Amino acid sequence: MRRALLLAGLLAALVAPAAAQAPPNWSEDEIRAVGRHGPWPPPAVRDPSNRVSGTPAGIALGEHLFNDPRLSGDGRMSCATCHQAGRDWSDGQPKGIGTVPLDRRTPSLWNVGYGHWFGWDGAGDSLWAQSIRPIVDPREMANAAARVGRLLREDGQLACGYRRAFGVSPGADDEQLLVDAAKALAAFQETLVSPRTAFDDFRDALVGGDRQAMARYGASEQRGLRFFVEAGNCSTCHFGPRFTNGEFGDVGIPFFVRPGEVDSGRLGGLARLFDSPFNLLGRYNDDTTGASARRTRHVQRLHANFGEFRVPGLRQVGRAGAYMHNGSVGTLEEVVRHYSEVSPDRLHSDGTPLVRPLGMSPQQSTDLVAFLRSLDAEPPPRPAPPPLCP
Amino acid sequence: MRLLIVCLSLVVAAGMARADQELPIFDAHMHYSHDAWTVVPPKEVVEILKKAGVKRAMVSSSNNEGTRMLQDVAPDVIVPELRPYRSRGELSTWVRDPTVLPFLADLLSKRKYVAIGEFHVFGADADLPNMRGVVELAKKYGLYLHSHSDADAVTRHFQQDPGARVLWAHSGFERPEKVREMLRRYPNLWCDLAFLTSHALNGKVAPGWRETFLEFPDRFVVGTDTFTPERWHYVVEHARWSRQWLADLPPDVARKIAYENGDRLFGGAR
Repeated sequence: MRRALLLAGLLAALVAPAAAQAPPNWSEDEIRAVGRHGPWPPPAVRDPSNRVSGTPAGIALGEHLFNDPRLSGDGRMSCATCHQAGRDWSDGQPKGIGTVPLDRRTPSLWNVGYGHWFGWDGAGDSLWAQSIRPIVDPREMANAAARVGRLLREDGQLACGYRRAFGVSPGADDEQLLVDAAKALAAFQETLVSPRTAFDDFRDALVGGDRQAMARYGASEQRGLRFFVEAGNCSTCHFGPRFTNGEFGDVGIPFFVRPGEVDSGRLGGLARLFDSPFNLLGRYNDDTTGASARRTRHVQRLHANFGEFRVPGLRQVGRAGAYMHNGSVGTLEEVVRHYSEVSPDRLHSDGTPLVRPLGMSPQQSTDLVAFLRSLDAEPPPRPAPPPLCP
Repeated sequence: MRLLIVCLSLVVAAGMARADQELPIFDAHMHYSHDAWTVVPPKEVVEILKKAGVKRAMVSSSNNEGTRMLQDVAPDVIVPELRPYRSRGELSTWVRDPTVLPFLADLLSKRKYVAIGEFHVFGADADLPNMRGVVELAKKYGLYLHSHSDADAVTRHFQQDPGARVLWAHSGFERPEKVREMLRRYPNLWCDLAFLTSHALNGKVAPGWRETFLEFPDRFVVGTDTFTPERWHYVVEHARWSRQWLADLPPDVARKIAYENGDRLFGGAR
């Protein structure tokens, strides 16, 4: 009897780790949940509030402006200074650096065109409006509409690119030219779509029932994915093909920026949105139907918005240099640990909290990180942009 | 002469507008918990309250040392509540923790409080021994219960002690119709409006809530809910926001909700 018990114990010890290493069997519900994170890539963006969105001439002008340091007040900083192609359209730093050190991390521009709120605080309701902010912010590029207008009028290449994009020569209205420059910048940024990943291949195989193709995706990644869509409830916020619902949340990250000062996040962002002459309710919206302004018309400031920041997409997430809105978390492993151990003290208990300490085992943490890294892929090299008007 | 009258009227109107902006606030829902003490020191808290025009603040903290620290620097401003948590993390465990009732009884024997709370309890958990013990302690010491709970738990408080006085935190995050129903049923129920925005959008009182405030002008108080240290830096803006929507109510109702109810119910500071 004792021998039988010993044998059973040995078998259990052997089987348990093997089970932990095996890929999961996927239920119909889980397949549906995973399927919602694709297909990838989605159709190209076309922003109705931006008349040069999706146009080759608008994109070309935008790419040139994006790389042009003359867009900054002192002529030393371009958009590409912080949003570097070789660093996944960010800067690899925990926090951005403009004319002064900044309080937030430089967000990656991968897939930015698919959003509906822009910036960590959502102060922009269009990508073009958001693109104006760093140009004129004295802490960042510190430029002014007059200088941008002059640049577009006086530089032969840019003036030609403007004519091709907008169908007219740059006019005398500096603010209009600033907006148009931002619309071209937005048109370019909309083309920054991250490449397909190992996850996408697995997702398509899972949805299509292709077991052979499914087997090429690691067991750890599969277990991490299952945790992501099921027990972790991560996909509630990190939703859809981009792995973000595009909205805002307080995930328990402190938001003091220095003693006596906080970053109010979405609350301040909404105040800036409402005050902005460039929001979608204003005269620069090219969408005559008014449909694109619906969100802006109806959004309300809530107390909960204080200290909320935009839910970032997770594609290329493992390639980031730091995490969270303020770069306060250094590695992907630490991000996972944060969600495993987050203090419920910091989260308001209004109904069922979306964020709660997940209490993950080391194996679960390893699996989740493995899954998240499977959302990364090496992008193809970018050729230099051709001249605007050869 | 007519010009003089017009000028005088303008001066009076301007004065009234200023007085309106400076409507004092009794903030009935504040916390000063352990993680706030160094990043927002007590003197800074008092400065913030002063800047916000908060004349009195009912404060609880985890642990209760924070409330004492604030009382020490501003005894005329701070109205103390006793919280059953030693750290904020106990909000989900306190109701089954056997050490909580002795902890509360000990503090009640040493210091004066006006309420026990804010505590979190939902549904049938309100019938657990700890919650029953808190209701008994409140009865014994004549204290309010500041309950972050659903309507079910509030009902259980009154079943345990029909004479209990309950301040319903966040008005239970309920719809105004439900809040009205509860206020009609329980004359010893009051509601705080902390963390709610549904009652006031763009400076206007929302339909449903307006009728509720007008039917029960003596039963509401405002609150900021400083549940994280950062939220102390929201107090000024929150007070400004409160004055904005209160200005959409008849002035006597606005005054009651802004501070008269708080003063009447919870008294001045000790």
